[in-house]
Parts: sequence; C-alpha cells; structure tokens
Amino acid sequence: MVAPRAAPKTPPILDDTLSFDAQGKYQRRVTYITTPEGVRLPFITATFAERLGAFILDYLIIIAAPVALILLFFILPFEQVDWKRAKGLGDILMILFFMAMFFVRTGYFMAFEMGPRAATPGKRVLKIRVIAHDGGHLTPVMVITRNMLREVEFYLPLTLMGMTMQGGGWVALSAFLWTLVLALLPLFNRDQARLGDFLGGTRVVHMPRQSLGIDLADTEADRRSGIIFTRVQIEAYGEKELGVLEEVLRERRPATLAAVATRIKTRIGWDDPKNAADVPTDEAFLRAFYAALRAHLESRMLLGKRRKDKHDEVR
Amino acid sequence: MSDEDPAKPALQLKSQKFRDAREKDWRTLSRALDRLDQGKLNSFSTDELLNLPVLYRSAVSSLSMARSISLDRNLIGYLQGLCARAYMGIYGPHARFKDILTGYFGRQWPDSVRRIGPEFLLSLACLVIGIVAGWLLCAGDQSWYSALVGEDMAGGRNLSASAADLKKTLEGSTDGLAVFSVFLMSHNTQVSIFAFALGVIAGIPTALLILHNGMLLGAMLWLFARQGLLVDFAGWLSIHGTTELLAIVLAGAAGFHMARRIMFPGKLTRKAALVEAGKLTGSVMLGVAIMLLLAGLLEGFGRQLITDTAARFGVGAVMLVIWTVYFTQVGRRISLKFEEADHGRS
Repeated sequence: MVAPRAAPKTPPILDDTLSFDAQGKYQRRVTYITTPEGVRLPFITATFAERLGAFILDYLIIIAAPVALILLFFILPFEQVDWKRAKGLGDILMILFFMAMFFVRTGYFMAFEMGPRAATPGKRVLKIRVIAHDGGHLTPVMVITRNMLREVEFYLPLTLMGMTMQGGGWVALSAFLWTLVLALLPLFNRDQARLGDFLGGTRVVHMPRQSLGIDLADTEADRRSGIIFTRVQIEAYGEKELGVLEEVLRERRPATLAAVATRIKTRIGWDDPKNAADVPTDEAFLRAFYAALRAHLESRMLLGKRRKDKHDEVR
Repeated sequence: MSDEDPAKPALQLKSQKFRDAREKDWRTLSRALDRLDQGKLNSFSTDELLNLPVLYRSAVSSLSMARSISLDRNLIGYLQGLCARAYMGIYGPHARFKDILTGYFGRQWPDSVRRIGPEFLLSLACLVIGIVAGWLLCAGDQSWYSALVGEDMAGGRNLSASAADLKKTLEGSTDGLAVFSVFLMSHNTQVSIFAFALGVIAGIPTALLILHNGMLLGAMLWLFARQGLLVDFAGWLSIHGTTELLAIVLAGAAGFHMARRIMFPGKLTRKAALVEAGKLTGSVMLGVAIMLLLAGLLEGFGRQLITDTAARFGVGAVMLVIWTVYFTQVGRRISLKFEEADHGRS
C-alpha cells in the first residue's frame, strides 16, 4: 500500500535562480562561480536561444568572409595583372586566401574568445561571454579545448546529415542521431553547457548592462498622500507580482498604468474616495501599493518567510 | 505605525537604508570599471588601485545582502551586473606573453604530453599498423593503391607513373608548392583537431582516422619502393614528416585520453574527470597546432631549399631528437614543484 504523500503546496524558491533579468522577466537560471577569494558570485546563465542566436550570427560572418574576399578580388584591379609574369603575386594571394579560410574555419572562435572581452562578435551582440567555471582566469587552453570540440558538436552532425540525405542508410542515420544528442546537450543540463564547455571547464553567461534606477518605494510621499491599505489587501499578491509592478512603474506608460491600477483595485476591493479631488492618480496609487507590498514582503523575508507569487500560501 | 508626527524622519525600509549607506561605493566602483574598460589603467593613482579590490569585495557582499533583504529587482540586477563586471575586470582573460612562454612551453606542454604516455603509444601503434597494413595490402593487390590514395591526394603519383615521373615529384622548388604546403598545413591541422575531437565518441573514430592516415602513407611508401625510390621518398617525407606525424600521433593520443577519461573517470565524478582531461588534452592540442605550423614551414621552405636526400634525413632526424628531448626532459623538476604546491593548497 502506498501512503498518499502530501504534495508540497509551495514549490521552494530555487536557490539557483535569480528573480529578475534586464528585461524584468521572472527567474532566470544562475551559474555560481566561486571566485578565488571564496565568494560565490551568481552569473545569469545564457539560454540555449541566446547561444544559438550568437552562433548563427557568427556563422553568417564566417560564411560572408570568403564571399567578401572573392568580391574584393574582383573589385580590385587584378585583371591588369599579367598572371604569367607575376607568378609570385598569385602564389601570395593564394596563400593569403588559404590562411584566411583556415582562420575562419578553425581560428575565428578561438581568437575572439581569447581576446579581452572573451566573446565573438555574435556573442557580443547578444551580451553573452565565456567565463572560467573554476573562478580563475580564462586561459587560452580552455578556449582552445572548448572550440576544438565544435568539430564533433557541429561539423560532424552536419556531415552525417549530408550522408544520411544522400542515402547513407541506417548507419549514417543512427550516427547522425547520436551526434545530434551531443549537439543538443545544452538543452539537457542545468548549466546549459555544451560538451566543449564541460571539457574546457568554461561556461557561457549573460551579462546585461543595467543602470541603477531610483528607489520606487517612497514611503514619505505615500504617507502624505494618505493612501492606506489593510493587511488583507496587501496579502493579495506575492514577489512575482511585485516584480511586474516594478517593471510597470519604471516604464511609466499611461495605458499600462491605468490597466494595472484597475486590475489591482478590483482584486483588492479598493474604493476610491468619494471626493473626486482626493482620488489619487493611477501612478500615485500604484506607487503607494508597491511601497506597501514591498514593505510587507521584505519584512516577512527578514524572517525567512517568502511568498513566491499570489498562488503561494500566505506565511 | 500609526503615529503621524511630521517632525519624525521619513519611515524607511531596511533595504532603502542599506542602499543609502552603500550606493556611493557602488557608483565609485562602476566609474572605475568604466575607466578600466576604456583601457585607462595607467590613469589610476596608487590609492585608487589599492581601493579597487576593497570596492569589489564590498559590492559582492552588498549583492548577497541585497538578495536576502531587498525585493527591488532593479537594485539586485544592477548589483549583479556590477559584481560580474568587477570580477571580469580582475579575472578576465589577460594572459601575459611572458607567462605563456615560460609557463606553457617551459612546463605545461611537455608535462601534459608526458601524462598521456600510454595513449601516445596506442596512437603510435595505430599509425605503424596502418603503414604496415597499407604496404601489405598494396603489395598483395595493386588495385588497393588507388582505393587508398584518392586521385586528388595522389597528384600524379599513381600506378602508371614511371620512376622518372616519381622522382620528379620529390625534387625541390616545384611551382606552387608554397601554396600547396599552406593548404596541407591547414588541412593537417583540421585532421588532427578532428582526430582529437572524435575521441569523445569512445575513441574508435580516432583510431580509424589514424589507421587510415597510416595506410595512406604505407601505400605511398610501397609505390615508391616499387620503383626503387624508397630511400629518396623517405628522405622527402622525413624532413617535415617527423614533426608532422608526431603531431598527428599526439592529436590521436589526446583523443584517446579524452575517451578513456569519459569512459573510466576513476575516483572523480565524470564531470570533474572531463574538466581535467580537457585541460590536459587542450594543452597538448595547442602544441600540436604549433608543431603543424612548424611542419608546414619545413615542408614549404625546407624541402624546396634542401634537395639532397641525406641532408633531408639529417633535418628530419634532428627535429625528431629535439622533440624527443623536449618532451621527455623539459620542465620535469618544475612540474614536480608545481604539483606539490597544488597539493599544499588543496
């Protein structure tokens, strides 16, 4: 007989998530890096989508590079060169071409990731970069290892896919499927790391640039405005809603402010004052509610009682 | 909370007091990091430089504090970004040239090659078996030659070529050879990276790749030997071949090492074993790339300038001796010290 196990009503707030990101989206995964001083520093893990986007951008550059070189060859006045006499020039051009090709295929990722920003142009566009998982310096060896593994993670599945399409039979197909698992490894682990990351001891993290805004909870102004909420009204929401409210207040779009204010008023059963002059503006109302909700949630937080969202049990 | 005394200072949340007390330091750190990003390290005064780590540590502690007392997302996001930037500023990828020179070439590279000794022997065995098999197959049945050596790879060195034709391919300063050698260099580097990376798949493809390269070589050796040019061909090959083949064998060994650590991680967890193996094989592979660059230079220039078979053998042998001495002798004592230091720390 199986004893009915009481399902936990409140999922614990995961330690490996942060409750924000630059866009205000709720909860992104975090990679902890223990720095040499012994501090556990949270980094926002780059998502598979971000990494794929960066990869595609980089590949567009890699594909465009030889095309650009060939175009350059036709644009420059090489038709005036007598190739029979200038044999050395032709050789040098060929050597340069081979070297450029070699660089884009093998050296592109390594060269950029060894640079001071530890990111390829594609990664920089998506604000992600490579860091050492052990907390130390990112060494050239780490970068080389993580990029050499690209051969099995990308080129091999590609080749095998080509073979499968050309009628390579079930051997090619099964080999392709197997390597596909290697390529999609970031989807199946907590750190979203690919095989090269594991071997190189590196991780890819998202590093948004965020400026410090004003503190929205202006308790002094709220006291003057005379808006007071009851405990029951405040307990209608949790941390997730507080975050959304903060985002709305920082954006300050009138339409959104009005819509959100109406929804909150309905939910908490708020009655506007009879005197029309005393009715607070939507923004003033929302800021007062934000301050009250934050004060309440933060005081509970100090006691170790956190409320994830409005569906969470009141503690 | 119901007292309405207007003289009383504004009611503040704990998180707001915390922010007021620390914000100045965060802003100072942020400005300093902006200056670092612009590469103005020299504009820092001694006091400012000494203050940087203090500010960094205070920002990190602010972050952990903020995460436990504040629900202001903007604040936590800002602090997280600030700490990450500060950490990058201090532990970013700035490898110093001198450190690479002494640390890598003086210790890390030969040391990591020595550590994959058993795999090196396995990889070497694959190559030798391949050479012997290639030779024997062709000796048994001539049609194997064209099957093993593709038309583009053969470059006129086919079954119908006469001894004179073959001899011609061994001469120096042929037109376009420089281009050919750059092509070969990039091709070889890619093959060795591939051989290494394939080690992830249990090492079997690595073995096959090395065997195939050996068979190619064996078949060519057989072709030249048939026309009585074995010594000349061996000389032509050895001037760069000792370096190039050693590099390819090392790449295979690195692949085998990775395969072994993935399949049999030993006392470590598989993840930890992977990181360790990655570090070791990565150092080997960086060296392999350098060796192949050197082999390309020997092939492109050395082989064109040195046409005497004995001299070619001489250069090849000298290179082999240099590599052997380098990999077996350099950095031994230092590496022992390094390990002790490591143990002391852990």
